[in-house]
Amino acid sequence: MVRNRETNLGKTLQNGGSKGPPVEFYMVLPALVIIAAISLFPFFYLIWLSLMKYPMIQMSAIKFVGFRNWIRLFQDENIRTYWWVTVKYAGIALSVEIILGITVAIFLSKIRLFQELLTTIIIAPLFFAPVLVGLIGRFIYHDSYGIYTHFFHSLGLFREMSLFGTPHTALPILISLDVWEWTPLVILIFLAGLKSLPQAPYEAAVVDGATEWKMLWKITLPLLKPVIFVALIIRTMDLLRYYTKFLVTTRGGPANSTKIVSIGIYDMAFQAYRMGYAATITLTMLFLTIILGNVFVKFFVSAQEA
Amino acid sequence: MATTSERTMRFAGKRALAGRTIGWILFAIFLLWTIFPIYWMLSSALKIEVNMFTIPPQWLFKPSLRNFKNLQEAFGLGTYVKNSIIAAGSSTVIAIVFGSLAGYGLSRGKIPGKSTIAFWMITTRMAPIVGVILPLYILFKAFHLVGKMPSLIIAYTTFNLPFAVWLMKAFFDDLPREMEEAAMVDGCSKLRAFFVVALPMVRPGIVAVATLCFMFAWNDYGFAVVFTSGATQTLPVATARLMTEFGIVWGQVMTLGTILLSPVLIIGLLIRKNLVRGLTFGAV
Amino acid sequence: MKKTACILTILLSLLLVLGGMGLLFAGGGKAEEEEEMEETKAFATEEEMWKQFSGMELNFLTEDTPAAGAIVTLLPEFEEMTGIKINVTRTNISDLVTKLMLELGSGSTSMHIIYSARWQIPPGRSDILSDLRKFEDDPSLPKVNFDDFFYKQFITTSHFVDKERIIGVPHDASTMIWFYRTDIFKKYKADFKADYGYDWTPGENINWDQYKEIATWMNDNVDEVKYGAGHMSKQWNSLYCDFSNVFWSFGARGFENPETESWGVVFPGRCMWDSPEAIAAAEYYKDLVQNIAHPSSIAWDWADLAEAMAKGDEIAMCFNWHDFIITFQDPDRSKIVDKVQAAVMPTGPAGSRNYHSGAALAINGAAPMKYQKASWLFLVWQASIPVQKEIFKMGSTPVRMSTYEDPEVKKWMKEGTYPGALIAPTMFTAWDDDHLEYVEGRFPQFVESLIIQYTELSKMLQNEKTPEQAMKDIVEQVNDITGYTDLMKAAGKQ
Repeated sequence: MVRNRETNLGKTLQNGGSKGPPVEFYMVLPALVIIAAISLFPFFYLIWLSLMKYPMIQMSAIKFVGFRNWIRLFQDENIRTYWWVTVKYAGIALSVEIILGITVAIFLSKIRLFQELLTTIIIAPLFFAPVLVGLIGRFIYHDSYGIYTHFFHSLGLFREMSLFGTPHTALPILISLDVWEWTPLVILIFLAGLKSLPQAPYEAAVVDGATEWKMLWKITLPLLKPVIFVALIIRTMDLLRYYTKFLVTTRGGPANSTKIVSIGIYDMAFQAYRMGYAATITLTMLFLTIILGNVFVKFFVSAQEA
Repeated sequence: MATTSERTMRFAGKRALAGRTIGWILFAIFLLWTIFPIYWMLSSALKIEVNMFTIPPQWLFKPSLRNFKNLQEAFGLGTYVKNSIIAAGSSTVIAIVFGSLAGYGLSRGKIPGKSTIAFWMITTRMAPIVGVILPLYILFKAFHLVGKMPSLIIAYTTFNLPFAVWLMKAFFDDLPREMEEAAMVDGCSKLRAFFVVALPMVRPGIVAVATLCFMFAWNDYGFAVVFTSGATQTLPVATARLMTEFGIVWGQVMTLGTILLSPVLIIGLLIRKNLVRGLTFGAV
Repeated sequence: MKKTACILTILLSLLLVLGGMGLLFAGGGKAEEEEEMEETKAFATEEEMWKQFSGMELNFLTEDTPAAGAIVTLLPEFEEMTGIKINVTRTNISDLVTKLMLELGSGSTSMHIIYSARWQIPPGRSDILSDLRKFEDDPSLPKVNFDDFFYKQFITTSHFVDKERIIGVPHDASTMIWFYRTDIFKKYKADFKADYGYDWTPGENINWDQYKEIATWMNDNVDEVKYGAGHMSKQWNSLYCDFSNVFWSFGARGFENPETESWGVVFPGRCMWDSPEAIAAAEYYKDLVQNIAHPSSIAWDWADLAEAMAKGDEIAMCFNWHDFIITFQDPDRSKIVDKVQAAVMPTGPAGSRNYHSGAALAINGAAPMKYQKASWLFLVWQASIPVQKEIFKMGSTPVRMSTYEDPEVKKWMKEGTYPGALIAPTMFTAWDDDHLEYVEGRFPQFVESLIIQYTELSKMLQNEKTPEQAMKDIVEQVNDITGYTDLMKAAGKQ
């Protein structure tokens, strides 16, 4: 009882004497309301849609079907392909971006001269609109007049075939475009991370006679683990979201080899107009996003506390 | 002992030099690979179409503004630029205004469920665009907003506002409370302390967040193509329209691409400092 | 306090959800058949009739086609004549599909004039399109004279199921034909004849096997181009279109219900893509694209294909939409100006089938009657002879038959002036009953079946499936979405 009164008193003092909610609450409220209004509705609407058969192309056939969409989702071979393509795409892109990012960041961090200038130059790709990245990609990898294609041909590679038309080159091209655009971000992340590494372990290692390589593997990388983690999460979330460059290049072909889940949803919702089923697939993506968000928050909040 | 370590150091020096050289070469390749598409886009924009497709490619050529002229004639860039600015700019303003307020509140205030709110912000920011197009469309339809600017602005706010809230909170977290507390002791209300003391001090953060919000909205295609029509189309939509039934008008694509890229590139490079914090949600 | 805010927010959003759902059902939008047409009488002068809606603004959503481009250029004339302002939104075909359904599906009253591709809006939402007969019969409005359009085009673009109800005015008439390089065909004609013994001039005298022979021979013997033929086999609508040329020519059919492709149906019946003819067509096509055509064919859509043809050094022939003659004759874009001609498709067991895909312009039946009438003025105007002639000059092909009777037009055709005139004779052949083929199924789930079909065909082209397996899979999936499988199951149970 006494403790409760104390806490209330403490709270009251903080509020400057009033018993109502603090000013900060009102500062937060507008943003919360706006976000609630525009995010809760889609969420509940998608859930409702996923329980309906909703072909916008045939309004008379709309009806409630319960979990039929969900059952179909788990039996659908195509959806499995989409997820597999997405995993391949994200997995390879992430690996390359992280490895390349760390390497370049470490290199950059050791340069005295021009570090600022070089970093500034390197981050330019980040500002490209995805639609532009897709179109430029389509241009430079064009079978007939693409400059990268010409480069490959001059090395004797990929002749007599179509880069965007062959499954084992189409996805790599899209991955390379993503790597081109977003590795700079990973580099920036690691640069910042490297700057904040403590000096002590290194000094101790030098005294012990360790080589640069050993220091890299035994000290730098382990210390960078949280930074790697941040880069992974940030990139994963965006890799799932963006689909425009797929739309303007392969549109999912050839033979569904570049059909990521977002394109699958796009085709289902905006070409076939099966809104119910599209909502179901969307919810699975949302589910994944929520898990990732959860992980990120836990990490971030705990890092804050630390 | 000394000789051994000297030898070791000299050997290490040689290896280091070889390693360094290789490192520089690889780095140069990386740099080239990063810049080349940008260079190629800019130079193609200045080439007349027929020269864009020659193999082997033309490295030296006489620059021409014909693509730009054709683009202007075919499209009338003014409207698209205007629409892009309005849509991106307005949503940025909304995001910054409400985001700063909320970020400050979350940072300083004792609000329960912070973790939940944080989680909610990040999930909203990361929701797959293609999935929310339909629900938002329904919403906008109900209010007769489709094809009008407000619908696009609101759509952009769905990802910019949570983003801004989250980031501003991170920036305010970094700001020590002493200054505000000093001001409040002097009789300032909390709100005033926010406006007069805290806000000015996170200005670089605000600039970074504003730039990023603007960029995400400016570069968006998914929402823009659905929620706009004739008079309200934005630059990315215009770029996609260059994929005509006759083939892609590459010269104009490159020119439009340059126009699309330049503003955000320039601003972004200027505010490089806080960019990382921005793009990593303050985690780094 | 926090709890209250929380509860309030949830309530607010639930309200929005319910509201949205409610609006969705309410916003179905239907043609205003019931609205009483006021008694109207004719105007004293034609000028008055055209100016009766002066000051209004109409919205027009269309695909970015040559016909649309031509009309947009001519719009100022319309505005001057009627005082009506038209706001045009042009997009590519995929975005058009997206926007159109979203617009109409949610009961929009603000999109007035619609580009109505025969396979997209009418099968899905023909109920939303306004019945145009009442405007044609209205004495206060100009007449368009529906008899003056090519009959089959008229059936398939301006009707759906109901043979009386008219829901569109024909607008464009894209047809796939066989483009070829006249210079190459002339130069190597003798050499080819020496090797194979026949005259290789494109047209229906050539059959599909000979087509392969010609393309293969060109791969090896013609220096001006890298490959003889190019195709549009990208995993997209283009693959479906390209394959259809072979498919129908081999005698295969799309669906059981014979009116699926013409008047349109709600239920197309069983998908017939696994017939022996269909499988034969698939096998032919696979060999063609994998072994004979330009290797980039599997990444090309029709625009890429036209670009390659226009480039001059990639391919010597291609099957493409006839409108592309504009590109081929445009000195800014093409290196083959005056070196190209068109012919009808090669002949298969079922003859020479030329894929016709036209569209009409339709009026949104949910828009207020005044706007509909004003829109009708636009529809009549764009189909009027002066405008059709202008369109012809700009390269598109008029849909109104009597345009071709006009003395000026006759002169242009004789002289071959304007791209359209160059290929007009071929087009007339392609449009007659023996050569015209309507390929797209006009039923509600068509777009989805289209996606299934081109996806499976793409897998076949990548050797992931045999032609037979791909066709069987197509039939299985398409039957599933049209409801045929369910129907059979229900019947089986009885």
